[in-house]
Amino acid sequence: MAKVSSEGPEAFETDFWKDANLRKVWDDIVPGEPRQTIPYTLTREAIELYCKSVGEDHPIYFDEAYAKTTRYGGLIAPPSIHILLMFSCTPADDWMRSPGTVNAGQSWSYNIPARPNDVITLQARALDKFIKRERLFVVHDNVFFNQRGEVICSGRGWTIRPA
Amino acid sequence: MMTNFENLNAGDSITGPTFDVSRESIRLFCDASLDYNPLHLDDEYMKGNFGKTHFGGIIMHGMNNFGLISRMITDWAYPAGAIHRRLETRWVKPVKPGDTIQPTGIIKSKQTTQNSRWVLIDVMVKNQAGEKVATGEAMVEFPN
Repeated sequence: MAKVSSEGPEAFETDFWKDANLRKVWDDIVPGEPRQTIPYTLTREAIELYCKSVGEDHPIYFDEAYAKTTRYGGLIAPPSIHILLMFSCTPADDWMRSPGTVNAGQSWSYNIPARPNDVITLQARALDKFIKRERLFVVHDNVFFNQRGEVICSGRGWTIRPA
Repeated sequence: MMTNFENLNAGDSITGPTFDVSRESIRLFCDASLDYNPLHLDDEYMKGNFGKTHFGGIIMHGMNNFGLISRMITDWAYPAGAIHRRLETRWVKPVKPGDTIQPTGIIKSKQTTQNSRWVLIDVMVKNQAGEKVATGEAMVEFPN
């Protein structure tokens, strides 16, 4: 199960149990405290794999000649690429990887598209934590930037933490 | 008729393609999103209880719903020269291998601001039984 991604020099640990003991549990999460993040170079291959997984087939993601004729002037990633960026821009001990984390909902605002070869950074933190109907919730916010410091997208999520 | 801001009306609908959920589609989403949470991979783990929740087997990533809704919105917006600006979603019901799901949207309202024009869309994803598995709201900009 512990296969690694072939993308980039930093192998991605797919066994989310491996560093489970290093991750913060609900009790340890401090709202307002920044999460550690890592820059990530978004490749065309990663965009194409993501597109395949949700059936995205618009040429603006695949066909450079077509993409040049659009308002974007070149290939872009689908807005929802932040689904990948959330894991590619965080280290293996990030609490979003804790087995049993249940996603309860998310909201995202889109400013400009991510593009192939963008070096993407993330600023992220928990904003709030609470208990509701015996479930342990954390609210977290996340902002992705490109290499020019421009905001790509910003999002807020609600997760139920493992008890 | 070409979609544009003027001819859109509350109640107009948008439909995305159906999506067949399988163990393979869930695994592909793991590889594409790097989200290898055992909720989506490990049948033994999923026999357990999660607080007050019992799933009974692996489930699709909630964010797979999000990706399908987002795809529906952009495929609708691009030909109209419009821009997908926001998507908020909540997961209502787990989705499992063997399910077929489909996103839809209904135009809720239009609004003009100082510098642009906006369309709000109620979105949802339903399974093959017609049950809502995800609901939310999208906002699309129609630049002047």
